[in-house]
Amino acid sequence: MTFHERYAVGCAAVAVAALVTVSPTRAQAPTQPQEAALNAEAAQNDWPTYHGTYKSYHYSGLDQINTGNVKNLEVAWMHFPERATRGIQSTPLALDGVLYYSGSYSRIWALDGATGKTIWSYTPELDEDLVSKQTHSPYNRGIAIGHGNLYVGTVDGRLIALDLKTGKPVWDTKLLDSKKMTVGFTGAPLVVKDKVIIGAQGGEWPHRGPIFGVEGKTGAKKWEFLTVAGTEEAMKTWGGDSWRTGGGGGWMPGTYDPESNTVWWGTANPAPLYDWGGPDWKKSGPRPGENLYTTSVIALDPDTGKLKFYHQELPHDAWDFDSSVGEFVMIERGGKKLVVHANKSGYIFVYDRSNAKIENVWPLVKNINFVKSIDPKTGELIGRRDLTEGKVDPPLCPAIAGGISWNSGAYSPKNGLFYRIGQEWCMELTVEKTTPVLEPMAQLNLGATFKFIPPPDGPARGHLSARDPVTGAKKWEVNYKYPPLASVLATAGNLVFVPDAEGVVHAYNADTGEELWSRNNGMGHNAGIISYMAGGKQYIAVPAGWGSLVADEFVALYGEPFKSMSKNTGALVVFALRQ
Amino acid sequence: MRIPLVTVASLAIIWPWLSTVSFAQQSNPAGSASPPAQGEASPNDLDGRKMFSSNCGFCHQDGGRHAGRGPKLSKSERSDEFMIERIKKGKTGSMPAYGDVFSDAQIGALLAYIRGLDD
Repeated sequence: MTFHERYAVGCAAVAVAALVTVSPTRAQAPTQPQEAALNAEAAQNDWPTYHGTYKSYHYSGLDQINTGNVKNLEVAWMHFPERATRGIQSTPLALDGVLYYSGSYSRIWALDGATGKTIWSYTPELDEDLVSKQTHSPYNRGIAIGHGNLYVGTVDGRLIALDLKTGKPVWDTKLLDSKKMTVGFTGAPLVVKDKVIIGAQGGEWPHRGPIFGVEGKTGAKKWEFLTVAGTEEAMKTWGGDSWRTGGGGGWMPGTYDPESNTVWWGTANPAPLYDWGGPDWKKSGPRPGENLYTTSVIALDPDTGKLKFYHQELPHDAWDFDSSVGEFVMIERGGKKLVVHANKSGYIFVYDRSNAKIENVWPLVKNINFVKSIDPKTGELIGRRDLTEGKVDPPLCPAIAGGISWNSGAYSPKNGLFYRIGQEWCMELTVEKTTPVLEPMAQLNLGATFKFIPPPDGPARGHLSARDPVTGAKKWEVNYKYPPLASVLATAGNLVFVPDAEGVVHAYNADTGEELWSRNNGMGHNAGIISYMAGGKQYIAVPAGWGSLVADEFVALYGEPFKSMSKNTGALVVFALRQ
Repeated sequence: MRIPLVTVASLAIIWPWLSTVSFAQQSNPAGSASPPAQGEASPNDLDGRKMFSSNCGFCHQDGGRHAGRGPKLSKSERSDEFMIERIKKGKTGSMPAYGDVFSDAQIGALLAYIRGLDD
């Protein structure tokens, strides 16, 4: 055998060995979620999109871990991200046994889902000078996967695509002039067909809260929807030049209804947060009128970015109660296709999915006094308290952190229950008549000073309740001394997982609320919890790490354990059943 | 060392309101006939209390008299130099840097407001 012959045989042997050592699954590993998986009610082996699937249930169809064996759940592996300023606030994704997650400064890690071994990591170079001027920074709340890419937004206004297999940048598109506008992107993008959709931050700044549609393959911006006065109709709802005061950022990801080809997205409050216009708000104050499309749910055509329909949950929001918070839970009831959406005010809105007409509105929390009620048939605010300059009496409920925070609840299609965290707190408030901030600059635009206080019916607290998502009828409730701020996970194992503010992850029986398991992660949770399969085994992954803007309020409210809780650190903790 | 309030007040007087004025003169592209909303409020660029309400009250509660996301500021034992430096440079992950946003006169007005706070 000549050298060349030996070389050829050797190469062939290596090639055969390579075929043997790379598993068939890995060799044909998908680089994007399947449509069927995205459209399903339950996330199965993967967690392919921020809300689990487009149905937004935050529900895993896996049941290896269940009520019978959850007591055997233990830590499988951990990962510690570098530079976890403000903790970890993101929801991981999983695809084909690989777990992907983001940390502060939009850092990304791809990890072997079974072992935690790093496959690749990516650190974008950010405008650190700009970051230092931002209030809502440098955290990142999530990523998206599609078209063979992983997508992440940055606080300096870019959307970045990374090759899913290698982590190498594919494109990097500047969508916002963040140097001028201060705001950037902290929320997760959403992949819809050939597009990546992402909303800008901002309820407190003079910008127009755009939502962008970007071509996944090329990074080319295809459309931009201005949530502040983005149509002729909307422009008429801002007196004078007041549309320049802005706000309305779509700072959390919405979802997609493939049956009607509609993207549902929530928008933030207008600025300034607290308006002194009082009952005459249609004609006076810093932003006279309804201020469309702020504090609204909007339905967009993903191909064009055109508005199809909308519902403004709080016309002329004078209380900073965004519609940006809250998942869009797509359910069917009595032959009707519905969407359930949680508003920061503590009310849950139920919509007809075809046109955003109100089907019901019900309160998740007890302490609400910014309105007397909301008409469950029309959505009209009844007995609204429009504020004027000076001390607000009685104090406003809920407080600025909302009756509902930005992380998501969960819905189990198995028992039809909706699991949502509610917060009971109020605040003393003094409204100031300030000059509207009309020029984009690194300034907040609040128009008030405030102080958190307990509500009239007891201490400031939180609760998880299991309810009928359409009627709000409560089946069970668990109370917490400190409101949990992380997302909730429901599973086909008949479990509900709640990562709490003190650092404990709880697993409850989904039907009864009985606590079956808990584990202390050592620091509070601000992020999203998921489940996935790797190597035939079910895992539960939850980032621990404290320090969101709502979490920061806990020191003044409660003192310890939050006074001593580390803020700028975090860990991804992954659980599995003991062998 | 503390900056005398007289100095702060003097700085306050010379602050021009140019940015607000220039925006007030821009037209509404939608052609609305209603009067500009900003005409309803008086300029507050050097009113420390109003500046605080717009920018700082998000984290320093009760106008700075109570801790919140940020510390209580009334009766702070921190020096003026420290306060000015912190307003200008911020603190990563806790407080934005306002050095490029506020003039020295505005920062002086904010400091004067903070020093004048009772508990």
